Amino acid sequence: MAITQISPGAFPGASPGTTEAAQVPVTVLTGYLGAGKTTLLNRILTEQHGRKYAVIINEFGELGVDNDLVVDTDEEVFEMNNGCVCCTVRGDLIRILGGLMKRRDRFDGIIIETTGLANPAPVAQTFFVDEAVRAKTRLDAIVTVVDAKHVLARLADSHEAADQIAFADVIVLNKTDLVSPAELAEVGQRLRAINRFAVIHHTERAALPIDQVLNRGAFDLARVLEANPDFLTDDEHEHNDEVTSLSFEVENPIDPEKFNAWIGVLLQDKGADLLRTKGILNYAGENRRFAFQAVHMIADGDFIGPWKAGESRISRIVFIGRNLNRPQLRRGFEGCQAA
Amino acid sequence: MSSALSPNLMLETRGVQRDLDAFVVAVRFDRTGRTAAFALGDGTVRLVALADQQTWRTVAVHDGAALDLAPDAAPAGFVSGGDDGSFRRIAADGAVTTIASFGMKWVERVASHPGDKGKGDKAGGLLACAVGKTVHLFDQSGATLKAWPHPSSVTGLAFDARGKRVGASHYNGATLWFVAAKTDSPRKLEWKGSHTGLALNPDGDAVVTAMQENALHGWRLSDGQHMRMSGYPAKTESLSFTRSGKWLATSGADAMVLWPFFGGGPMGKAPTELAGGDGVLCSQVACHPQQEVVAGGFADGLVVLADIPTARILPMAAPDRGAVTALAWSADGRHLAFGTEQGFAAIIDCAER
Repeated sequence: MAITQISPGAFPGASPGTTEAAQVPVTVLTGYLGAGKTTLLNRILTEQHGRKYAVIINEFGELGVDNDLVVDTDEEVFEMNNGCVCCTVRGDLIRILGGLMKRRDRFDGIIIETTGLANPAPVAQTFFVDEAVRAKTRLDAIVTVVDAKHVLARLADSHEAADQIAFADVIVLNKTDLVSPAELAEVGQRLRAINRFAVIHHTERAALPIDQVLNRGAFDLARVLEANPDFLTDDEHEHNDEVTSLSFEVENPIDPEKFNAWIGVLLQDKGADLLRTKGILNYAGENRRFAFQAVHMIADGDFIGPWKAGESRISRIVFIGRNLNRPQLRRGFEGCQAA
Repeated sequence: MSSALSPNLMLETRGVQRDLDAFVVAVRFDRTGRTAAFALGDGTVRLVALADQQTWRTVAVHDGAALDLAPDAAPAGFVSGGDDGSFRRIAADGAVTTIASFGMKWVERVASHPGDKGKGDKAGGLLACAVGKTVHLFDQSGATLKAWPHPSSVTGLAFDARGKRVGASHYNGATLWFVAAKTDSPRKLEWKGSHTGLALNPDGDAVVTAMQENALHGWRLSDGQHMRMSGYPAKTESLSFTRSGKWLATSGADAMVLWPFFGGGPMGKAPTELAGGDGVLCSQVACHPQQEVVAGGFADGLVVLADIPTARILPMAAPDRGAVTALAWSADGRHLAFGTEQGFAAIIDCAER
């Protein structure tokens, strides 16, 4: 989607009347074949948590538990005819989520399991692009299960492994019992280099409290950004093909028009490399925080709660992607400050 | 006497209504015109005999949500599809039988055709349902005739007016299958993108699909001409041709949008917009089975009739009952039924008095 303007109110979802309570949370479960996705899914579904989930699996899925809300789907990714080269969405999800909404009283959340080789972008973009989907559901978190023993090899031989880690809000670093402490530390560093902003859980046989995975509200940017104490640490990885993450902050208020102009052009030009962009912005003259996020070229934004009393109103933006040009991005963001 | 008519006047004085407490997925009348059926998100179908409209019978049909409903090919009764993977028949007396089961795959679209009335016992009524990428065709008894594969999931399904062809929409276009063909060589209509629904012009010469990108695409079959109809602020969920085939009514804008399929249109012609101006999206349209009249349902629950030639509007039901998600006329054009996502349902007698 070619975005020409990103102003408050420009997004259909940005209306003050939007009630989040009515939206069903959706958890996307990604990870390479054999990483432990299905094990985690089975744990979620068998644990006594008193909640009921609908599960959307791909046709190759092997779900061992009896759940009457399992939907078997063919992943059907298609390009939107909107002039945006990387705007792909999951057509099957649009239909299935629409169908599930007709029986929405019957479950508390939806879990989507992707195939091992899936690029998470089309799933995430589906939640930005389709009005009916975004009106009724909310992308709660992208959870990526990573095999501690094999992830370094996967990162070496495929793009998808890095993309799945880059898109994650939560990383389940699984099979930690199969590697030495030194190997585990190396893997952890590598994950952090790709995605500094995800929460990482170490697990054996995908065992962890499911409230660490479900209903995270991780797509709530405020929580994502607040959950990252190492926000300002420098990143040595730049200007290369590897996925890295960068963050910037400015103390002066942001001019919405300048920001729209800058981010619009940036996403148009670099959207293919920018996997995820997230920000919390202090707009000049505005008492509420503006939350911005994008997947490739598709952007979305909305005012979230007001700044807390006494809180320093710092605007922050995070980029996760390839070929990130740190000085250029910093200058661009700093140029958005109100005069 | 007050000159301001209540927008609920028709509903209150000539309608029956119920709160069914589940998403109304579809409403249809059977071919006898004696029974109306509402298919719901709780898997039930509610049957209402028009001769006794105070009695609404609840029939458990699907273990999950009903996803689509059509009149049976037979004179009485209905067929429905559900997310329990079943394609079922509901007799007018409420008896339910299974036509086919497809396991975990959803039966997302169903359609029927009564067959050729001139042929008496060899009427050859037909039933069809879309399950994933396949359209299954059955004879009136429920025996399987064909299973037609498609390159991707089927999103829209319709018989043509004569029951000779079946249209299916999917990614990158639509496919027209010939029911009686000995070897299946369908006509493929191609246009890149995600096509999410389909309607066939009663004149047999146009196929129109709704698209993910808030636009319609059409093909004129006689010469292969493409038609593009765009400008919608939202996706078109509902498409309905008038009986004459002159107009295609559509949802997806803050008015009913009607495209002219005459005088060279819709190419190069502006559509007619009816019942707009409130800034509320039209969510359902249904053309009257005989006259140039269209019913429209809106996202706030408003239901209106519009006379197409004069653009006169007659309100049927006031807003505030949830988005209209189902809307249908009885075959004789006397009764209009509708339902909303909140579970409100009503049948209104529109006969002249």
